[in-house]
Amino acid sequence: MIHNIYQPDLMEVLQVRQQTADVKSVRVRFRDEARAREFSFRVGQFGIFSAFGAGESTFNLCSSSNWRDFVEFCFRRTGKVTESLWQIDDGDTIGFRGPYGNSYPMEKWEGRDLIFIAGGIAMPPIRCAIWYALENRDRYGDITVVYGARTVGDLVFRNELSRWAEYDRVRVVATVDPGGETPDWDGQVGFVPSVVEKAGIDAGRAVALVVGPPVMIKFTLPVLTRMGLADRDVYTSLENRMKCGVGKCGRCNCGPVYVCKEGPVFTLEQLRRLPNDS
Amino acid sequence: MTEAISRQALLELVDAWLGQGKRVFAPVQVKPGLDLYEWIQKSSQVHLDSSVRPANSIKEAVFPRHEKLYDYRYAGKQIELIGAAPPETPQIVLGSRPCDAAALEILDPVFNWDEADGFYNHWRRLTTVVSLACQGHDDHCFCTSVGLGPDSPRGADAMLVDLGDDRYEVRTFSPKGIAILAGRTESTEEAATVAPGPPKRFEVESIRRCLPEAFEKFPWPAMSLRCLGCGACAYACPTCHCFDIVDEGDARGGCRARNWDTCQFAVFTQHASGHNPRSQQGQRQRQRIFHKFRMYPDRFGEVLCTGCGNCTRVCPAALGVRPILERIENSTESQTVGRVSNPS
Repeated sequence: MIHNIYQPDLMEVLQVRQQTADVKSVRVRFRDEARAREFSFRVGQFGIFSAFGAGESTFNLCSSSNWRDFVEFCFRRTGKVTESLWQIDDGDTIGFRGPYGNSYPMEKWEGRDLIFIAGGIAMPPIRCAIWYALENRDRYGDITVVYGARTVGDLVFRNELSRWAEYDRVRVVATVDPGGETPDWDGQVGFVPSVVEKAGIDAGRAVALVVGPPVMIKFTLPVLTRMGLADRDVYTSLENRMKCGVGKCGRCNCGPVYVCKEGPVFTLEQLRRLPNDS
Repeated sequence: MTEAISRQALLELVDAWLGQGKRVFAPVQVKPGLDLYEWIQKSSQVHLDSSVRPANSIKEAVFPRHEKLYDYRYAGKQIELIGAAPPETPQIVLGSRPCDAAALEILDPVFNWDEADGFYNHWRRLTTVVSLACQGHDDHCFCTSVGLGPDSPRGADAMLVDLGDDRYEVRTFSPKGIAILAGRTESTEEAATVAPGPPKRFEVESIRRCLPEAFEKFPWPAMSLRCLGCGACAYACPTCHCFDIVDEGDARGGCRARNWDTCQFAVFTQHASGHNPRSQQGQRQRQRIFHKFRMYPDRFGEVLCTGCGNCTRVCPAALGVRPILERIENSTESQTVGRVSNPS
């Protein structure tokens, strides 16, 4: 028998939740009970999910690694595979390979304040770390979450923002781009970089995790530098197109590093050493 | 004393292999001046010309252009996966150019680091490579620039060297090579001579060193204006190994397969959002050169290139590795990385 690293595990869809007009989150569980029991991952890692007949796509595992009964991922309806995933329902079967890639250094961050900054569809890859930190609340200092989207309707996991804010020493700042607010919107209005700058965050003993569209990252990183964060304390997760997930198919490299192997999590210090290739 | 085999005995041996159910991949003359490695049905198809380089490579013997990974079958909400079970058929690559044989050893690490690729290893295990030393080269050959030569043993289990009288000197390098030719050779006092390889065109280490600077400074956009983005370079290359994974079938069933792919295609790196890290052909040319001469050496210790020259030979625009590397080396040596003129 061939050692087939490309053959996925089968997963049962437990629950599909529509997050926005074009974003859904999906809860899945391994059909094989033994596999479900032994499976573990670290927050920040990703999986390659299959809609059989359409193909595979790469998504972050956006559930906390402490949750044992299911794994969650989140996607935007964009292409062939996600169109197929959009149609899935409870009880359906999808494929999963993983977990792949490195992870957020949650142990290394212990004792530090945490600043989470997410834009749009990039909340899921941060949500796993937020829940992990909240479930180990005593290991971390102050936690600040800044989450921005184009409009109120584009906020993913919006119902969880208020739950996070109920925890001790947690501040959640939600913002939408100017024009994206609704009459009952009680969050901020403004772009993520300026909201971060004005939020009065004490960055003295903080590490920051920033994930979002390239333009948001580009303008947020200088703000964090001005706040006094060292490049080695600013983390992001790159999301390059992938096929194999195991460093062979040749497309996800950014300069010398394979995002699927050495990433997806990088510090700003590491990114500055990479050539302009992303 | 050396071992030799007559052309007649060799062709009889090929028919014996085919008769035993083995698969044989060998150069076939498609038209004068154009050879292609193909799976043959009879020994008369074999074209052992030590001076004609086939326009494809032998990588497809271990890394097929299209390979089924598994079948999927829907049964209501359940799905059944049936892993692909490629046959246990031994296969012989006969008349491989030494540069093509070397490619297999160069590819081994990428298919085996971290997670081993069972499909590649399956075909590799079943494959015996009998190469044919080169007696001549064309303007595109540059094996000597990447540490190989007209009779490099790398990657080969045995090698034939033309003795000029319808006989070949036989050199064996592995138990597989010894076994496959056992009892078919005879001792001879003669030793074959091998024609000199192509002149050395560039220094691999100097290329590796100057590439980081060339990343920004070399005029990649100008260099790639004529590139069609067709990817022929990668498909004809013995070491290019990028692949795509796709589904073939419908909602009832089908298979998932991997197909050759290339960094020269725009969609290769395009994100779902539409953002493309390598949206320009120049960036894609740069990726191919960097992968082969900087990334691969840094990760696996040697360049991802055998100097076969196929990329230039098949390129409709006379690009490919060597013209670009020579330009990079010249421009770095003359401290004018921005200069560009037509490649030779």
